[in-house]
Amino acid sequence: MTSRLIAGITALGFACAIALFTPAVVNVAAGQDAPSTPPGPVPRLADGHPDLSGVWWGGADIGAARGRGARGGGRGGARGTPPPTFMSLYKPDAAAKAKTLSDKDDPTLRCVPTAFGTLNVSLWDVGAVGQILATPKMIVMLTETYHGFRVVPTDGRPHRDDVPPAYRGDSVGRWDGDTFVVDTTNFTDNTWMSAEGRVSHHSDALHIVERYRRVDANTLEIEATVEDPEVLTGPWTVPKQTLVLAPFDRIMSLNCSGIETQALMDAAAKQSTGK
Amino acid sequence: MKRSFRTVLGCGLVLLASAASAWAHHSFAAAFDMNKPVTVQGTIVQVRLENPHSWFFLDVKDPNGKVVRWAFEAGTPSGMVRNGFKPGVIKKGVEVTIKGFHAKDPSQNMGMLRELVLADGTVYGMFGSQQGPAAQ
Repeated sequence: MTSRLIAGITALGFACAIALFTPAVVNVAAGQDAPSTPPGPVPRLADGHPDLSGVWWGGADIGAARGRGARGGGRGGARGTPPPTFMSLYKPDAAAKAKTLSDKDDPTLRCVPTAFGTLNVSLWDVGAVGQILATPKMIVMLTETYHGFRVVPTDGRPHRDDVPPAYRGDSVGRWDGDTFVVDTTNFTDNTWMSAEGRVSHHSDALHIVERYRRVDANTLEIEATVEDPEVLTGPWTVPKQTLVLAPFDRIMSLNCSGIETQALMDAAAKQSTGK
Repeated sequence: MKRSFRTVLGCGLVLLASAASAWAHHSFAAAFDMNKPVTVQGTIVQVRLENPHSWFFLDVKDPNGKVVRWAFEAGTPSGMVRNGFKPGVIKKGVEVTIKGFHAKDPSQNMGMLRELVLADGTVYGMFGSQQGPAAQ
């Protein structure tokens, strides 16, 4: 009942976000920097592969048109069968652990990034905007929120075994036709997943494979599969996300200082639960 | 593109509830008492456009004349900026009225910013201007 209520409110919130904010916010942003690229063919790098470069978002930022965030529409199950959600794949121990965690435990309150992305988009991490800088040898993925980055070689090389585990893992890439495939391992286990807009713990066995495809000059599609054999009973297929080119050509550098927010959440938790 | 006040108000409240649970860096419902609105008037001490959420700090005189520091949590900095909020527009020393919801812990002088009103009547919302382009 409660979950249905929350889902209903959230859906209504989507509609309201679109109704209230979308067009104006896009206009505001459009006036800040370079104009958006007109629709056209996929730009290509000198080696002929698609150029994934650009600032990518869902059409607006948080607080404005969240409802127009990246469009998720992928289907992982058979026709008519909804695909499994991340949390439906929990092993019993993982489900029990999840019940012990609450908002106050969220590492992002302390400016620690997520392992994946709060809106099912790794490029955005905790936010709703990310930038890709592509060269034939390396593709650099920059997240606006929490200063995250991934430097992804494109030559299909194996993962490094001489780097410590990291919040955002170690990524390697290869081209599969016009699709750029990114394989990421070597995560720490002290971040959260933030799958499906909800937070979740994960283990250091987390393994994420993403497939990036620029379908035209203004559109980037991302499909991903998440495995964590210590937490999940099987792979979670992330709904396909469709991003659009933002009407500005640089992300911002934003500080993070979670002191007040963490204190607020800690006090609220004590007030609610006495812990 | 005019929108009725009731549409804006209704949607605003729905957004507060929904955005809180699904999209924010933390659930606002978990941190604030939505049944306890609070209004304070005071002088801005600091505005921090930072993640995970922005904060407005102000000094408020209590009924006994004692100055008390309050802090109000607002939106994400990127969302506020792209919603038309210009950094530096609200400076230290500016007199403001802030309406919001009190922190769940009643001992904290903290709240969630719902509306910030300047002396000239300019109104800002949680994610920036409510009288700017986003509200036209």
